[in-house]
Amino acid sequence: MKKMTLAAVGMAVAMTAAPAQADKLDDIISSGVLRCAVVLDFPPMGSRDADNNPIGFDVDYCNDLAAALGVDAEIVETPFPDRIPALISGRADVGVASTSDTLERAKTVGFTIPYFAFQMVVLTREDTGIADFEGMAGRTVGSVAGTYEAIALEQNVDAWGGGDFRPYNSQADVFLALAQGQIESTVVTSTVASSIIQSGQYDGFVMRGDAPYDIDYVGLIALREEYGLLNYLDLFVNQQVRTGRYAELYAQWIGEGDAPNLTVPNVYR
Amino acid sequence: MFDYTFHWHQALRAWPRLLEGALVTLEVAVLSMIIGITIAIVLAVARTSNVAIFRAAAISWIELARNTPALFQIYMVHFGLGAFGLHLSPYLSLLVGIAFNNAGYLAETFRGALRAIPPTQTRAARSLGMGPVQAFVLIILPQMFRIAFLPASNQMVWAILMTSLGIIVGMNTDLAGVTQDLNVRTFRTFEFFALAAVFYYAIAKSVGIGARLIAWRLFRY
Repeated sequence: MKKMTLAAVGMAVAMTAAPAQADKLDDIISSGVLRCAVVLDFPPMGSRDADNNPIGFDVDYCNDLAAALGVDAEIVETPFPDRIPALISGRADVGVASTSDTLERAKTVGFTIPYFAFQMVVLTREDTGIADFEGMAGRTVGSVAGTYEAIALEQNVDAWGGGDFRPYNSQADVFLALAQGQIESTVVTSTVASSIIQSGQYDGFVMRGDAPYDIDYVGLIALREEYGLLNYLDLFVNQQVRTGRYAELYAQWIGEGDAPNLTVPNVYR
Repeated sequence: MFDYTFHWHQALRAWPRLLEGALVTLEVAVLSMIIGITIAIVLAVARTSNVAIFRAAAISWIELARNTPALFQIYMVHFGLGAFGLHLSPYLSLLVGIAFNNAGYLAETFRGALRAIPPTQTRAARSLGMGPVQAFVLIILPQMFRIAFLPASNQMVWAILMTSLGIIVGMNTDLAGVTQDLNVRTFRTFEFFALAAVFYYAIAKSVGIGARLIAWRLFRY
């Protein structure tokens, strides 16, 4: 009998001594809070309403994800350049922040399958006379530092030879610079362009055709080694599309047209 | 905790670009000091002038420069003047912003130095037949620089560190701008920021040591 007790105690000790390694997914579920890094000066993906509450596609996406996990959502406002530090320093669990899935970045951070896709357009003022993307050659242009379009546009400016590229810290500064004439044109996502033109905040802003960039697929991001979490997020993105919630969010926040196709033909992911 | 694997190889490959950025940083800092010192002398004199309007102008400049953040000053040069149709490039905005800040701080440093010079110096110079300008330039200014040299070198270090604020006005050629650019392309935040910190430290430290050597050589009694 004593031996049996000893064995039972021994087993109990062994079980507590070597617990299964709790990963980030476990941590989120057991803490009851999902902290999402969201960019809040990037309407309609993320912005603030009149009462200063975070709103937008990404905010709702985070809320859906939290609901699926059965936890509360917490929005951590994160400027574009600070998305990775926010994850690594542990201020956020997941980045729902329109992060373009470049191979260079994938060396550092883990990407899910695309949860959204952007088309880039040329945004300028009527009086600049810029008619299309090629018209930007030799001009002073700018964009938000750290975005897909900024990196692509800077390469274009280098290739054109003339002109100047300016990376600003926020979308608001880019619009201000464009309105004042500090820059003559910018490349932004069609969603941002239509949202700022519709707002009527700046006179004379016009869209001048598409920028010839690949479609900008963006994924959710998490720490690279958190396979459990990344796996869950992949399935979540899939389910959002499958259940029609993706189309619903698109209709609510972006509106016109169909939600972008998130698959690339002829290849698996 | 801190889940991050450092990839130094990738970061170290970018060091020529960082070095170029460091030179731009140094250039902006040096130019801003030259402009700042020139304006600061004028401000320090105007501050003690008998003409009320000069005094008021100097005091406003000094108060504004010393009691608002440099970030705000640089932002206002770029976007504030921009609102009135005056468009300065990011480089110029940064230079003007820091020069404005330097002038405000140095004016107070110089004013203190001027007060430390006995008034008998001026009187002796004047009694030897020098005019007021001559006495100021030949007798007072050299002594002022001697007294204010080390505090001013402090401002030089501060100017170097302030150049990093250029990123808010779209500056992408200085050390901070280059670092930010590399960071957003690769997301290797900590490697690049650590390297940039080493550069900033090296520049700032050499300015400090250089100033001490110069002071030791020049100002021996």
